[in-house]
Amino acid sequence: MNQDNSLHGEFSSISPAEFFYRNRQMAGFGNPSQAVYSTVRELVENSIDACEEARRHPDVRVSIDEERSGIVRVTVSDNGTGVPYDEVPNAFARVLYGDKFTARQRRGTFGLGVTMAALYGQITTDSPVIVVTQTSHTTGRYYQLLIDIENNQPVILSDESYEREGPGTEVTIRLKGDLNRSRERVYDYLQLTTVASPHAHMELAINGSSIMRMGWWHQILPAPTTTSKPHPHGADLELLRRLVADAGKRSLHDFLVESFQRMGTRTATRFLKFLAINPRQAVNTLSRGDISRLSSALRSFDGLGHPDGKCLSPIGKDAFLTSIESVFAPSALTYGSRGPTEWSGNAFIVEGVVAIGTGARTAEVPTLYRFANRVPLLYDSGEDALTKMLKRVNWVQYGVGSTTPVSIFLHLCSTRIPFKAAGKQSIASLPEIEHETLSLLRELGRSLKKTLKRGERSVRNAQKKREFDKAMKQVAQFSAELAECDAVPSTAELVHRLFEVGHHV
Amino acid sequence: MSDLSKSLSVLKDLGIAIVQSIDNEEFPTLEFPGRGTENLVYDEESKQFVLGKTRVIRDSSNLRHIKSFTQLVWVASYAKQLLQAGRTCSLRDLYYSSEAFGVEFADQAESNRAVTDLECLTGIAREAFGVFPEERSSIYGQVTMRYTVAGYEGRDVDLTLSPDGLPIGPALVTADPVESQAELILAVESGGMFSRLIETRAWERFNAVLIHLGGQPPRATRQLIRRLHDNLNLPVYVFTDGDPWGMHIARVISTGSANAAHIQGLTTPDAEWIGVTADDITKYSLPSEPLNNADLKRLDELSRDVRYSDSIWQDYIRDFHQLQRKAEQQAFSRHGMDYVVDTYIPEKIH
Repeated sequence: MNQDNSLHGEFSSISPAEFFYRNRQMAGFGNPSQAVYSTVRELVENSIDACEEARRHPDVRVSIDEERSGIVRVTVSDNGTGVPYDEVPNAFARVLYGDKFTARQRRGTFGLGVTMAALYGQITTDSPVIVVTQTSHTTGRYYQLLIDIENNQPVILSDESYEREGPGTEVTIRLKGDLNRSRERVYDYLQLTTVASPHAHMELAINGSSIMRMGWWHQILPAPTTTSKPHPHGADLELLRRLVADAGKRSLHDFLVESFQRMGTRTATRFLKFLAINPRQAVNTLSRGDISRLSSALRSFDGLGHPDGKCLSPIGKDAFLTSIESVFAPSALTYGSRGPTEWSGNAFIVEGVVAIGTGARTAEVPTLYRFANRVPLLYDSGEDALTKMLKRVNWVQYGVGSTTPVSIFLHLCSTRIPFKAAGKQSIASLPEIEHETLSLLRELGRSLKKTLKRGERSVRNAQKKREFDKAMKQVAQFSAELAECDAVPSTAELVHRLFEVGHHV
Repeated sequence: MSDLSKSLSVLKDLGIAIVQSIDNEEFPTLEFPGRGTENLVYDEESKQFVLGKTRVIRDSSNLRHIKSFTQLVWVASYAKQLLQAGRTCSLRDLYYSSEAFGVEFADQAESNRAVTDLECLTGIAREAFGVFPEERSSIYGQVTMRYTVAGYEGRDVDLTLSPDGLPIGPALVTADPVESQAELILAVESGGMFSRLIETRAWERFNAVLIHLGGQPPRATRQLIRRLHDNLNLPVYVFTDGDPWGMHIARVISTGSANAAHIQGLTTPDAEWIGVTADDITKYSLPSEPLNNADLKRLDELSRDVRYSDSIWQDYIRDFHQLQRKAEQQAFSRHGMDYVVDTYIPEKIH
């Protein structure tokens, strides 16, 4: 068949940097107010990840300054590990370069966000990203970097030594942004970040004046996550082929046990027997068809235990409750959690807190705060799987709606969060996640109902006591008038005794 | 000791008892006889029904009692204020006054109950505390009364002063009869009959003191009937509609009401019901109506009431049951305006 390329225009590939610039709304840089928010968010997430890596309590300072109308300078500094100097140019000025492609929970995922922010700043203000970083046992360096968009390569404008107070990184990006319209979101984001990372401390300064200092609600650092072996349900063709290529002449049985989690010798034997494949067959003798068959069998294999949870970092009961109490001062709150279980081999946990007396308003559906891998999600709640599940529950049945504002905080943590877009604002609808979320919400609903009932009872009792107290005072007053004595006898002790704790009326 | 100082001292003792128990850090309680019809017993000595041995206890430590307890103590303190100021008030006034003291009554029936509680507790009628009902009966006849109330002491009133009759209020109830040409008391249920008897000078003809009851009469009226009966030695005749309700008006005058069984001096045991009886309806061919369900139900209640245990009253009830009809006093008008005065009443009073 004769093909005429001229009729179809010129085929060409574009660099990742160019691709993401053209599709910047996908990454959360669609408009000037969202751009400020996304820049702060990407830098803060990297900072907290870096601090946790260093096993330090994160102390992150954000300052936003409006240089002139529409041009904003965002600076985020942390007390993390610092970036190894030879990695700085690639880490900040090359798209899709990073160290976060492993099967464990991290805030950032692709190393895309920061470079996206740098890219957006460069395009809108023609300014370089400025990075000051210091690793331990060194004095620190100062960089000005641009991105060569066509070739997706860093351009180093300056690289000099710099005295910093201690290890950590400070990144400054100038960008076109709407400070006024993003202000509230940034504030909310940082506040909620201290809820999801109670061991972190956040500071925000806008145009030189301090707006917020909060955090360090809970002193215990989350246990470091470890990279897990892949779960059999995640064994797609590509992954399996790569693992097989690394396995050499190992027997199929040993290969399964060594490469996958939840695959002990007994499970592997049972699995291969079920497939009628010789367990002693060498892996490098498998045909493409064998690998394909193996892949679909692994992905649909039942009878595996819960996935390994060590790769996950849920906030945890104490920390979550403490942080919500510190930030929102609710009158009552309860924690619940489901998992770990998995979607397509990715382990996940859903945890949540229902809090009474914190919502901005009373409604028939509680106010929802969403978190994914400890990152608060503020945009696109309507399309989010967690929101959908919230709406599916009949909250009236759990006593929501009458008078008391109720809030629900949901945290999904997973080795991979199924975001709908690179902007990382809403979670895709997956049956496994929806199922666990719905169960958790109902569990929280049941404890909410109990708490509300208890509350009503105590309100009723308090009211009874008030009325009784008033009546007894009247009795004392009227009888004093009858008896013609000047002093009205005190009834406080009598009333107190009658309503003592444990006295049921 | 005068009635006034006795009332005041009873109220003071009540207050002292409550204050003392609060000072002792004990919840005060109040105890008085129950007022259910099942607690009505006939007292041979006073020839009236009185309250029996069943007692109720108001315990201020009980959350269900505290409200009525407070109301009762308030009514007592309010009564004391009335007495000290020499004032009276109606039951309705009392109901509205409560608001100024931060005491709540759901309705007037509740405040009336609190007043009756105070009567039971102290054994003193509310009239002695200056509390009267709103409605007034009237009286007309050849008797002169001398007031004893403050401001009118020693002044006389002739009960034929007004052709409409004089209202029976606190002043008249406490007045003393000083002069009389009356030979009997004729109490009638309806205002129309009362006016007819005045206009036709029936009071002159029978030498009767006429009393307009207006349905179940207020206690003041019953008290006045009793006083005139005792002081002037007059027989009492009660003339009502011919139905269970009229019959019961007569019965309450002679035996007392359940609601005031705790009060002495309201009943006139030898008061006589002259009709209209079921017999009269037939005998005088009175226009009549069939008894309705409410009438029949009332008749059944009365047939089980201790106040109707006499065979004569059981007969009256049985007659209505058999006739199944009722007639008003005015029904005599079918025989002409003066028939009731010329024929019926003379045949009934001997």
